Amino acid sequence: MLTLQTWIVHVLFIFFTTESVGELLEPCGYIKPESPVVQLGSNFTAVCVLKEKCMDYFHVNASYIFWKTNHLTVPKEQYTTINKTASSVTFTDTSSLNTQLTCNIRTFGQIDQNVYGIRIISGLPPEKPKNLSCIVNEGKKMMCQWDPGRETYLETNFTLKSEWATEKFADCKTKRDTPTSCTVDYSPVYFVNTEVWVEAENALGKVTSDHINFDPVDKVKPNPPHNLSVSNSEELSSILKLTWINSSIQDFIRLKYNIQYRTRDSSVWNQIPPEDTASTRSSFTVQDLKPFTEYVFRIRCMKEDGKGFWSDWSEEASGITYEDRPSKAPSFWYKIEPSHTHGYRSVQLIWKTLPPFEANGKILDYEVTLTRWKSRLQNYTVNETKWTVNITNDRYIATLTVRNLVGKSDAAVLTIPAYDFKATRPVRDLKAFPKDNMLWVEWTAPNESVNKYILEWCVLSDKSPCIPDWQQEDGLVHRTYLRGNLAESKCYLITVTPVFADGPGSPESIKAYLKQAPPSKGPTVRTKKVGKNEAVLEWDQLPVDVQNGFIRNYTIFYRTIIGNETAVNVDSSHTEYTLSSLTSDTLYMVRMAAYTDEGGKDGPEFTFTTPKFAQGEIEAIVVPVCLAFLLTTLLGVLFCFNKRDLIKKHIWPNVPDPSKSHIAQWSPHTPPRHNFNSKDQMYSDGNFTDVSVVEIEAANDKKPFPEDLKSLDLFKKEKISTEGHSSGIGGSSCMSSSRPSISSSDENESAQNTSGTVQYSTVVHSGYRHQVPSVQVFSRSESTQPLLDSEERPEDLQLVENTESSAGSFPRQQYFKQNCSQRDTSPDISHFERSKQVSSVNEEDFVRLKQQMSDISKPFEAGQMKMFQEISVADAFGPHTDGLVEGFETVGMEAAVDEGMPKSYLPQTVRRGGYMPQ
Amino acid sequence: MRAQLMWRTLPSLVLGLLFLSTPVMGSCLDKDQELLRQLQKQADIMQRTSMLLNPYIQSQGLDKDGLKEHCRERPGTFPSKEALQRLSRQELLRALNTMLDHVLHRLMALQQDIPKAQDLETVNRAKQNIRGFKNNIHCMAQLLPGSSERTEPPPIGPGTSPSPTPTPDTFQRRLEGCRFLHGYHRFMHSVGQVFREWAESPSRSRRHSPRRGLWKGARRVPLSRGNKRLLLRGQLPR
Repeated sequence: MLTLQTWIVHVLFIFFTTESVGELLEPCGYIKPESPVVQLGSNFTAVCVLKEKCMDYFHVNASYIFWKTNHLTVPKEQYTTINKTASSVTFTDTSSLNTQLTCNIRTFGQIDQNVYGIRIISGLPPEKPKNLSCIVNEGKKMMCQWDPGRETYLETNFTLKSEWATEKFADCKTKRDTPTSCTVDYSPVYFVNTEVWVEAENALGKVTSDHINFDPVDKVKPNPPHNLSVSNSEELSSILKLTWINSSIQDFIRLKYNIQYRTRDSSVWNQIPPEDTASTRSSFTVQDLKPFTEYVFRIRCMKEDGKGFWSDWSEEASGITYEDRPSKAPSFWYKIEPSHTHGYRSVQLIWKTLPPFEANGKILDYEVTLTRWKSRLQNYTVNETKWTVNITNDRYIATLTVRNLVGKSDAAVLTIPAYDFKATRPVRDLKAFPKDNMLWVEWTAPNESVNKYILEWCVLSDKSPCIPDWQQEDGLVHRTYLRGNLAESKCYLITVTPVFADGPGSPESIKAYLKQAPPSKGPTVRTKKVGKNEAVLEWDQLPVDVQNGFIRNYTIFYRTIIGNETAVNVDSSHTEYTLSSLTSDTLYMVRMAAYTDEGGKDGPEFTFTTPKFAQGEIEAIVVPVCLAFLLTTLLGVLFCFNKRDLIKKHIWPNVPDPSKSHIAQWSPHTPPRHNFNSKDQMYSDGNFTDVSVVEIEAANDKKPFPEDLKSLDLFKKEKISTEGHSSGIGGSSCMSSSRPSISSSDENESAQNTSGTVQYSTVVHSGYRHQVPSVQVFSRSESTQPLLDSEERPEDLQLVENTESSAGSFPRQQYFKQNCSQRDTSPDISHFERSKQVSSVNEEDFVRLKQQMSDISKPFEAGQMKMFQEISVADAFGPHTDGLVEGFETVGMEAAVDEGMPKSYLPQTVRRGGYMPQ
Repeated sequence: MRAQLMWRTLPSLVLGLLFLSTPVMGSCLDKDQELLRQLQKQADIMQRTSMLLNPYIQSQGLDKDGLKEHCRERPGTFPSKEALQRLSRQELLRALNTMLDHVLHRLMALQQDIPKAQDLETVNRAKQNIRGFKNNIHCMAQLLPGSSERTEPPPIGPGTSPSPTPTPDTFQRRLEGCRFLHGYHRFMHSVGQVFREWAESPSRSRRHSPRRGLWKGARRVPLSRGNKRLLLRGQLPR
């Protein structure tokens, strides 16, 4: 009871719930058709029908309906109000594949409300399937395929249908991933015609292909024959027998076959003529095969009448034909090797192994025979392909046969000529050229009959020796290719030797490449000679290992840093080239490329700089300049030599050394002051108390007159006798350095050396060179050092003032007056010197001289020396010379007498290392 | 004369109606020689014991010495070759159709004793071949100028009733099945020979036919739609 109540409650709940939901979800209308599928390009009309209830509720009718497609309002021109509740919309030429169509109403004048919506699917009806075909793989179900036709844009189902006349088979529905083929579920029954067709169907229609009616056995693809085996025959070396097992299809149908075969090392299949295998069989014997050759076979089958399909190829099977006697004599040649045994030669006989198609079996050994002229035959069995034997220098005949299991080949005969045989008759017009990736050799045969040709070749290399390979060609051949393993870019030296009945002919050689390539590296160029406007370049020929071909030409590229590159082609036979028209003093970069027929390769770049001057140009400039310089220098030296006195006077006059200066007391009354200073100690031996110097100028380097010398000697004697000694100044004063001077205190020799002059000491108070003293004073002295010490000994000056009333305002002046007893008449040194000479001789002459000096005092600078000399010549060596000497003596006497009067003598202090400024 | 015409026409109509009772489906070959060749090929296939008998013997454990000798056709189960040769073509086709229906029923019964799927597949393949053979008989019948004058199977001597005799035990049932299949293959061999005779010497077949009348009266009777109602050449009734 409780259960019943519960059930009733549930039912009522569901009922009311459903009712309420239904009311809530109940649309205001609907669209017909509900799920339209429209053909592309066709017209489509939909009708929206409003419900009365809804119309009353919203106070609308069909005229309020508007349509939308994919949320876009459809123009009202496409609407048609059918009646109060229904409105239709029409679309022409539909092109959209999938369209959402909604029916809407506008309520209360502004609220759009969706009434109903549908989805329009567009597409095309299926096309009639074409090209329906079926295949029956043996042991499997039948599979049919077809061309489905155009795209329909709709889900299209293809159904393969098949039936007999009395029975219909289950439909074969295509799978989604293979819509164009289908494999039936049943096993096909052979020899019963089956009718097959395809139905294609989608929402827009159904279409059926053409029916095909066939016997499934005519659509069979058999399984390939299996267990294929190959066997040979000992009786016949040219056949192989094939056996196989047919597939089980042979129980139903007759078969035909394709049998193909090839040699093991070939990739090309040969086929047994189809007419020989056009019937069911399980074996076949293949004929006309090569002996001892491995063949590979395969087989396939199909229905004998050609209906159906070929099976796949069977697995391959191979077999080797039986051996046969070698079909050809091997290639046979020899090499002569030097032998140490006199009268014998070492001959190496060489031969080639026969290729399998000529060996016709496994080679067991070789038989060599040697026959010397008129001697018996010697047999040798050799297992290798060469044999070395020492033979005499006679002519020999060698034969070679090769042996296999079945028999021996024909003999290859070779004549080994005598030692002194001279080979002649070479081949002519030997050529070698690559073609079809082979190196061909062509020649013209000699005029005489040739038994065979021997072609030898080797790789030319700087790194490895020439190891020749060889091959033999028949005597009728005049063109062949080298059958060795040739490499590209290698230079081959090919030699062709004709072999005549009496021996080999003269060999001819040629170089060739199988395939050329650009050189591995370019030539290295360098300069041999570089000139101002040209450069001679040189290079080495490329080694053959890097040539990779025949060097056809070189190209020299050269350029400056900023200039364009210039290329010059040079013949390959050259190894140097001269670049001309170069710019001087310019850096050039040059490189070189070598070219073969296949291209070139640049060598390293080389730089050089052209010189600024051509060769000899510098010499042409420098040598004259140097010569001119030397000449000028020489002239200058000569000039200086000639004018050395003058130059010396101006450039390096003698500067008196103050450290060696002495004060000479001219006055005989003035006692010498030996203890005046430390320097006087050097001369304090009593020999140097007085200074008496007589200087005699000899104008123009003339020797003094004998009278002068005589008087001078006399003067010396007197002086020695009166004073016991005399002190002469060894050096000359600055103004008389070039003059010969004679010092009274010198030895006789020195007197002779200075025989031109009688020197007397001169104290220059007029300054050094161009310094002009304020007051001209002079005194007899051995030193040329100016007397500046008056400042240090003022007491001496005072003494002078006291003793000489006629002294001037300057102490030095007084001092000199005291000593010389004469007035200063001129500031000029020359005047001073000259007047010094004159004053002691004659007052009149002095007056006259003073007048002259006043006249010439102005042009002092230039004419000083000249004037001085003129005067010296005129006065000093004039008729008053004797008087002058006497005057000197007088003064000297006075100095000696006045030795005890220190006031009359002004000592001088000599500063070490120099002299005091004036 | 009129009665004679009726007598000749009636069997063809009956035979035609008999085969037309099957639903109209795919078309038959309209080339009698080709169809006859197919029948020969089918008979050649169906006569092979490897197609049915040997697998059955093996599956039933009858492949033992001593047992094979007992696996011999029980006389009368299938008509002899001579009996078949005596039949007219229409009669032969009708007899074959009937006999093969019996074979199908019997094979369905034998399937119950075959546990292995592989052997069942063999049996199914044999049944499919028999149905295909029946299809070709149907098509051949449509090509023949006349049909059997009787709906009953023709009297073809012993073996007209191949229905199995109820056997008490399994071994006997297997042995009977073996004997039946042996007879079936022998029967198909005979059928093949008869068809070959048809192709080689149609006149000889007619000579051996006890009912020459069957070959008469049937003259260009239109058959089903797919066929062009061609008569076998040289086999027109006299």
